[in-house]
Amino acid sequence: MVNIKELQASIGDTPILKGLNLEIKPGEVHAIMGPNGAGKSTLASVLAGREHYAVKGGSVDFDGQDLLDMDATERARSGLFLAFQYPVEIPGVSNINFMRAAINGKREHQGLEPIKGKDFLSLVKEKSSLVELDGRLRNRSVNEGFSGGEKKRNEIFQMAMLEPRFAVLDETDSGLDIDALRIVASGVNAMRSPERSFLVITHYQRLLDYIVPDFVHVLVDGKIVMSGDKDLALKLEDKGYDWIKEETIA
Amino acid sequence: MTGMAKPIVMDLERKPNIHLATQAKGEALRAALVALRSGTGLAAEYLDALPVPHRRVERWKHTPVAGFWSTYEAPQVQTVLAAGCEACPVPGLHAYRMVFVNGTFDPAASDLPVHNGVQCAPISMSDSPPREAGDLEATEWFAALNQAFAIEGMRLHIKKGVVLDRPLLVHHHTHGPNSANFLRHEITVEANAQVQLIHWSTADSQASGMVNIMTHIEAATGSHVALDKVQDEAGKLHHLAFEQINQAQSTQVRVHTGTIQGQWVRNDLNFRLDGEGCDSVLNGFFLPSGNEFVDNHTTVDHCAANCTSSEQYQGILYGSSSGVFNGKVFVRPNAQQTNAYQQNGNILVTDKSKINAKPELEIYADDVKCSHGCTIGQFDEEALFYARSRGISEAEAKAMLVNAFIGDVLDGFAVPEVRMELEHRLATKHGWDTWNDTLEAG
Ligand SMILES: Nc1ncnc2c1ncn2[C@@H]1O[C@H](COP(=O)(O)OP(=O)(O)O)[C@@H](O)[C@H]1O
Ligand SMILES: [Mg+2]
Repeated sequence: MVNIKELQASIGDTPILKGLNLEIKPGEVHAIMGPNGAGKSTLASVLAGREHYAVKGGSVDFDGQDLLDMDATERARSGLFLAFQYPVEIPGVSNINFMRAAINGKREHQGLEPIKGKDFLSLVKEKSSLVELDGRLRNRSVNEGFSGGEKKRNEIFQMAMLEPRFAVLDETDSGLDIDALRIVASGVNAMRSPERSFLVITHYQRLLDYIVPDFVHVLVDGKIVMSGDKDLALKLEDKGYDWIKEETIA
Repeated sequence: MTGMAKPIVMDLERKPNIHLATQAKGEALRAALVALRSGTGLAAEYLDALPVPHRRVERWKHTPVAGFWSTYEAPQVQTVLAAGCEACPVPGLHAYRMVFVNGTFDPAASDLPVHNGVQCAPISMSDSPPREAGDLEATEWFAALNQAFAIEGMRLHIKKGVVLDRPLLVHHHTHGPNSANFLRHEITVEANAQVQLIHWSTADSQASGMVNIMTHIEAATGSHVALDKVQDEAGKLHHLAFEQINQAQSTQVRVHTGTIQGQWVRNDLNFRLDGEGCDSVLNGFFLPSGNEFVDNHTTVDHCAANCTSSEQYQGILYGSSSGVFNGKVFVRPNAQQTNAYQQNGNILVTDKSKINAKPELEIYADDVKCSHGCTIGQFDEEALFYARSRGISEAEAKAMLVNAFIGDVLDGFAVPEVRMELEHRLATKHGWDTWNDTLEAG
């Protein structure tokens, strides 16, 4: 589904991703762990198409298409979703209008008519119950005045609405208490399917107790330095990242 | 009315702040106008005494007038009605209309209210003498010019307790080069009367010259007045709009100004709150593009206690356009319990666009609530990327942010049909095909 080869990206003159390789097949859940500043969010942003980052080399194939050749809107409409580490507040734009525009953008891409008001509302109802999103939040401005947990649940709500083929979750667990974490994880698990793949970025192993990954990769200094199964996450939790750095240098 | 204008004397002592070259150009324009039409003369004394605006006149510091003179060698005063304009510029609006084409009243296009307790006529057809010069004419050269040369406009008088049953749309249309359109609107609203007014200014693409409109509104005790101003002029006009609004006790006056299009626009909106318990609202938006220039100078003068004023001006500046916002709020010593709010927000879409924004609050009473805020920023790149990452196109994402930015001002326009037409015209000008969908979804 997604094949990342030798990806290099920088901000200004500073290289951040330094030749990253990762292949994700349909239905798989991959976790990326790594110390702060390793480049995890950079990878997520580059995949989503943020222009701020300059891609200096490598390729990303998304179901036979050149992902890096598409702009952010096209990537989303083609089925890529990024749950932001820091969801953005948009004062004056209601959550519900925002989602309607997003849904209709995708439908336009699929050659479908804009969604009918009634269908849209029942979809909203169904998907917001998945993450127990308070109905009142729908009419509020996008993320404005939401608590940290509400923002993260709103990300998963948006993902459920848009039904992407490939979702990248950037530290969706950060700032969540254990109840919110369970809700978010069960929302994600409900969406797991043989056609849908996930890249779950996290700093802590905790999330992976709830969203059990097929593979775990360790990202250090812009490269994947080690890969394994879910036990690797437990080992990292136990021993930290330093031993990996030592091992990979050695 | 005096037949002959006074000879033009340069009295340098009475004009301490003149710029000689500009002064000469102003006087030449005036002479050309005198030759075309004898002024009413009432305000000639002020014309003699006032400096022709230039950069060192405080209220014109950021308002470029140089371009004005170069387009203006030979002003034309239209006395014969040329082409008419569209019957009603607002689709679906059931309104009375008073139409002026190049400053001349167009009876065929107009539909005046015939109503007990309402007098509405063009000045040329009414017999009472024109209103005497007020503060604006005494302090602003262009306003004095209006007083000296305007022989047409609307005279509206609404009697006690009368509520005009439909909005009254005053349409100013300009076509052709070198116009010198002077209009004066004199509006008196007696106690407890109510009226909704629309000022609608359009021009064709060949239009150039000056449109100079002076509006006086006297709102008597308990009256309600709403004025929706729409400026959508093609061509290369210099548009000057002066408003002086005087509010007696317990009056409500709301003025909304939407500038869609205009090469050079100067709005000079002035409120004086003379009676207690007044409520004033003045909101506006401006979205210039290309090398358009839009200037909003506002003054709210709180002279009495227990009044509220609320002001919000939002600007989005595209291309190489530029703008000015200057908001003065005076709270006089006896205007206790004043509640005055002012907000001015600006988005510079490109690094070539410019805004000069200045709130000026002068507060001489101690028991008041006054707040003001002024922001200048760009489109929120984070918000744009967030929307795009959800599959929303960049154009639609921007339209959403525009709507969020000026939505409150748009919603405040008194006449719903005007609001809808504004949205339509903005979408057309800026090519936001999806904007209407966005709005409808809201
Ligand atoms: N806007 C930016 N400008 C400059 N450097 C940045 C910017 N954003 C991130 N970085 C740097 O890029 C590196 C990777 O950051 P990031 O991808 O956010 O790491 P992670 O998500 O793994 O913590 C860090 O060294 C960080 O300081
Ligand atoms: Mg990060």
